[in-house]
Order: sequence, then structure tokens, then C-alpha cells
Amino acid sequence: MTGEPIEAVKNGVQVMISSLRQNPQAIETAFISIITFDSEAKQVVPLTDLASFQMVDIRATGTTSLGEALKLVSTCIDNEVTKTTAEQKGDWKPLVFIMTDGIPTDDWQIGLEEFRKRKTAFTVACAAGSAADSALLKLITENVVSLDTADSQSIAKFFTWVSASIGVSSTKVEDGGQEVTGMGELPPPPAELNIVT
Amino acid sequence: MSQSSTITFFNEPGKTVKSVPSITTPGKNYQYVDNGEPMRGGMKDVYFGPDKSYVVAFYRDKQDYNSRERLKKLVTQYYDSFFNREGGEYYKELYCWPTDMVETSDGKVGLVVPTYNKNFFFKQGYATSEGIKGKEKQGLWFASAKFRHPQFALRLDESELGNWLSYFQICVKIARGVKRLHAAGLAHSDLSYKNVLIDPVSKSATIIDIDGLVVPGLYPPDVIGTADFIAPEVLATKHLALRDPTRKHANRTTDLHALPVMIYLYLLYRHPLKGGKVNSLDTEQDDLLSMGEKALFIEHPTDHSNQPKMDQVSKWTLPWADVAKLPYTITGPYLKALFDQAFVTGLHDPNQRPNADQWEQALLKTTDLMQPCSNPKCQQKWFVFDNTTSPTCPFCGTPVKGTLPVLDLYFEFKPTVWRPENHRLMVYHNQYLFQWHVNRHVVRNEKLTDEQKIPVGYFTFHHNKWVFVNQKLTSLKDLTEDKEIPVNTMVDITDGKKLLLSTEEGGRVVVITMANK
Repeated sequence: MTGEPIEAVKNGVQVMISSLRQNPQAIETAFISIITFDSEAKQVVPLTDLASFQMVDIRATGTTSLGEALKLVSTCIDNEVTKTTAEQKGDWKPLVFIMTDGIPTDDWQIGLEEFRKRKTAFTVACAAGSAADSALLKLITENVVSLDTADSQSIAKFFTWVSASIGVSSTKVEDGGQEVTGMGELPPPPAELNIVT
Repeated sequence: MSQSSTITFFNEPGKTVKSVPSITTPGKNYQYVDNGEPMRGGMKDVYFGPDKSYVVAFYRDKQDYNSRERLKKLVTQYYDSFFNREGGEYYKELYCWPTDMVETSDGKVGLVVPTYNKNFFFKQGYATSEGIKGKEKQGLWFASAKFRHPQFALRLDESELGNWLSYFQICVKIARGVKRLHAAGLAHSDLSYKNVLIDPVSKSATIIDIDGLVVPGLYPPDVIGTADFIAPEVLATKHLALRDPTRKHANRTTDLHALPVMIYLYLLYRHPLKGGKVNSLDTEQDDLLSMGEKALFIEHPTDHSNQPKMDQVSKWTLPWADVAKLPYTITGPYLKALFDQAFVTGLHDPNQRPNADQWEQALLKTTDLMQPCSNPKCQQKWFVFDNTTSPTCPFCGTPVKGTLPVLDLYFEFKPTVWRPENHRLMVYHNQYLFQWHVNRHVVRNEKLTDEQKIPVGYFTFHHNKWVFVNQKLTSLKDLTEDKEIPVNTMVDITDGKKLLLSTEEGGRVVVITMANK
């Protein structure tokens, strides 16, 4: 990602953090980590509570090591998400948001295999722009959002929606206790986003 | 202009004023500003009216017949019965009640709701940044220890926090709001710190999201509630089919779980059920069990297994997370008894839960036990007298200086036989006495007249002794010295003295004990 899209993502993260920092539920419960992936995958921000979170410069140029990124997010989940033990309550399952504007250039299947072994509350993949492959992202998660153009406006909308999905609201009466993991649990996305079904 | 269609005006680009007709009043239309990005609630999209005096909140989902009927009743019949009668003005402050119902030409149903009073928006917000200035004061800001920790990065400014006494007044108002709903046979069904805005500065509270109201048997609930406030029996049966007769739904008794959870949170800044006990190795399952089927009070008098583990709590939640340092008993004997009833006997037995009226009365009686802390730096400023001979402020540890008169109230059970009311008044310098202390037929609630809110006298520490100055009591008598105390005179407050406050029917006797001698 270069140029406008990456600037828009940076801005989006910033806006998201500042909006979450105005949400007491989020400050009480949410921790955030950022992993970037280009020629390699790097955890640029370790899992940090919202109040102490400091934004760093995000760079992603060149290739698209999605496989590495999936592997790294798996390791980070293992290391940083506290598991429940008999002695201590653990963290809730993480929400994973993947954003890409290109086609993976590494062996993403190996990474996906690793990632699939981890439990997430939900994973949303966002295909930004026409070069991204939403069909491929569908293999990672059923929740794929596609932005027709990776411009600042649509990316900003995506982050607004992500922020809203992190907040807590009243739980609707559901029939039967099926665990809902699909889009049904998220607030409806703004009209500009296309959910790939 | 046809009544049934949505009329659109274009003002400036991206900002459109639309109009939508009322369902209840033919010919009446409401305008709202649609900039394409409404505020999104759990189920509704919310638009401001042009002058921001009201909002129009449209349901995103189509509303069925039942739901429409319920909403219609809410803005007509219930509205009238709550507000268009004597004393109705008082309740207008306690709720943000929808005033009308609208429907667009494409069948979208909405409610017209007055905007919140301006004291429910942060004047300052965070202590160190502008981040939430002007945002709504949803209750969670004030129910969490973090936001009042002096070193937490996103703490609230001191000017927003009020003092401990403010939260008693706030809880009284919430309890009254719930009491009135229940008296009308309604249940809120989704009481939570999200749906109650509070303002510690003006000591007010307002219940919002009234549209979830449940009339048992007639209109079923459409939410099971908000996490942290859902009653254990509702969570424990939520896996059952909707029509399963053993499935428990939100109703009056689940409100009576949510209410004490809220009171506990606002007074102690920790959740009464979130402790250290692990009920399942699966985190989500553990959460469900710990708040549902296996819910256990963190301060259960005999089962200590759910006490918070001090090596696991966040430092920002201290000192409040430490139940040994600040046990719930600091809220005083009346509230302790009700918390026991709500979180021990009634936790899994909904019919045992205290009702809203009991909470209101216990909170009010507790304020009579409160003392101002003499330490000007004390964060809480007030504390409840702990019934010890040498009381100290539980928050900052400052001991009370000098003697402390304690007045126990008695009522005439039958001629010449007086019995204790289980009501005590702690005296402090410049403390007032009111009609509701004098006469047991005067109940301290929202129905008090302005006349009844005028003090009848005051206590003061004068020339090194405690005295009561009588301003209005026409038949005050010092029984110990057998002496009338006329209006505009004073009487010494001494250990063991008995005063008859009024000879009228219902008039009480107080017995004075001096503490901290």
C-alpha cells in the first residue's frame, strides 16, 4: 500500500483510536495491537490498552506477505491474549481486522492454517481497491468487506464501522442460544461498503 | 403537502432537512436533519431536529404490529398517565420519554424524543484533554474506578466527579424512576449505565431508551439487556428457544437485579459479581456462567470464593477493587441489608429481590448517617458513620474530631410505649432537621411539598457544645428536663437526652447518644 490508501489507513486508525478513547466501554475492555505486512510481517504495536496506546508510523510498501502476517497474528494471540486458567480469568476472544489492497505474494495457505487454529470472536477482512482479491479473502473469513476504491473517504468509513463494532450495546433477544459469529453481530455497515457474500 | 409522504428540502449540500408525519396527531409533521450519517444506537438511527430540541429515532428493522401498538401506547396513554397529572413535572426530569411516534412513507417507524438536558453533557470531560468535552455523560464514566484514578491517563476532571453524597442523590433518582415504572405495571427491561445518564454535578439522573418498556403478558421484551446488568436467570436460560416456557425474560424482577447492580457500581465503582472465581476454562463460557447460572456476590458473607484477587486486578481499579479495604458495609447498615437481599438471597431467587421503593428509602435513610470528612483533600468528602466509638473516614483515614451526636428515632407504638424506627440521624455542624424526621406520617419521597422541604431547625456546635435551634417545631419538648422548647430558642444536645419532636399524631421521640467522646 502506498500513496493515498496507506495515508487513509493511518488516518483511519488514528480516528478509530480517538473515537474509541471517547467510549468508556472500549477503554474499560479493549486492547489493540497493530501488525503490518509488506515484504515481511511486523508487530508495530504490541497488545496495548487504549489509554496507553501510542500511534506509530505505519509503513507497508512493496510485496504482500499475508501468509507471514497470519502466522504472526497467530503467535501474538498465543503470547498476548491471556488464557483462562483455574486460577485466573482470561481475555475475550480477539477481533481481527485484516486490511489489504493487493494479492498475497507469499505462501498464504500455511499462514492461514496456523491462523485457523486460533479462536477469534470474529475476523473481518477488508479488500481495499480493485487490486485486492476478495475471493481469496473469503477463504480466510466469511466476513469480507470490499471497498471499491481505496480512497480516504471509504477507508475512513470502514474504520468508523470497526469502531462501532467494538462498542457494547444491548443484547437482542435471540431465538435459541446459537453462538453468532457472522456479520449478524456487527452493526450494519455504512452503505458505501459492499459486503461480499 | 401530502401527509403520508416524506417531504424533502435541500438546504446545503450533504445536509437535508426532511419531514415525517406523526402517527398520533393527524396533520402534525416533524422535521429532522439528515446528513447521511445518523448517530447509530443499538436498533435505531437517530437524527436531530433542526433546532436540536428533539431527535427523531428511526428503527432500522421493520416493527411488527405488537411493537407498533406498544410504541403508540408509550407516546399516548403512558405519556399522559406519567406526565399529564399532578406531580408529573417531577418525572419529566427522571426520564427522557418519547413524545410522539412517526412513520415514513416507506413504512419506517420512528420516535420523537426530547434531547437531553445540557447538564448531561460533559463541560470539561477528561482532566488532561478535550477528548470527551460536550459528549453525553453515560453512566459508565462514573461507575468505573479507572476514570477517577488520579494517575489514569484518561481520568475525568475533578470538576465532573461530584462527591460520594452526590451518588446517593443520583441513586435515589434512579430508584424513583424505576419505582414509578413498576407502579404503572411496566418494566424497563434494559436498565444499565448506558441507558441512564447521570450528572454528579447537579446530582441528577435521567432514564433513556424508554422504548424497550415491557408490559408483562402484553408486550414481550425485545432485548435481554446489556451485559453486566442482565439478571442471572435470563443469562442462564438464554440458550433456550424463545417460546420455551422455562426461558426467563426481562421483566420487573430483572429490573430489580439491574437496579442494585447500578447502585453498587455508583457507590463502590466495582461490579458486584465480577470477582476472581473461574467457572470454566473457556473464557466466554466462564463469563456466561459467572454472570448467570453460577453468579456469586464478590462479597458473599460466607462464600469468599469469588473475591477479587488482588494480584490480578488492574492498578487503575484500586483502591475500589479491594473489598477488604472498602467493603460494601461502608455504605451503611440499611444498604448492606438490601445488598445482601439482592445479591445473596435474591440473586438466584428473583422474588426475593428488594423493590425500588425499598432502595429509595434505604438510600435516603443512609444519607442521614453521613458525615462530612474534615480532610479538605478527601476525594469522597462524605462517609457513612460506621457505628464505632471512634469513627474515621474509610476513604482517607481521617478520624472524626470532637464529639458526634447520634439521634435514634422512636415512634409511639401504643400510648406510652415507644419503639425504635430503625432510623438514625447523625448530627454534624449546620445539619438540618426536617418534617420527615419529626413525624412518621411525612414520607421523604418525590411527593413532598415545597413546604415540607423547609427545615424545621438545625444542629450546630456553638460555644463548645452541641445545640439544636428550633425554627418551626411548635410542640418540641425536652423530656429529660421536662421543658418545652419554643420556636426560636435552642436546646442543648447531651448524652442520653430524650426529645419529643411533636405532640401531633405520628410525632417522634429522639434519643441522643454521644459518640467519639
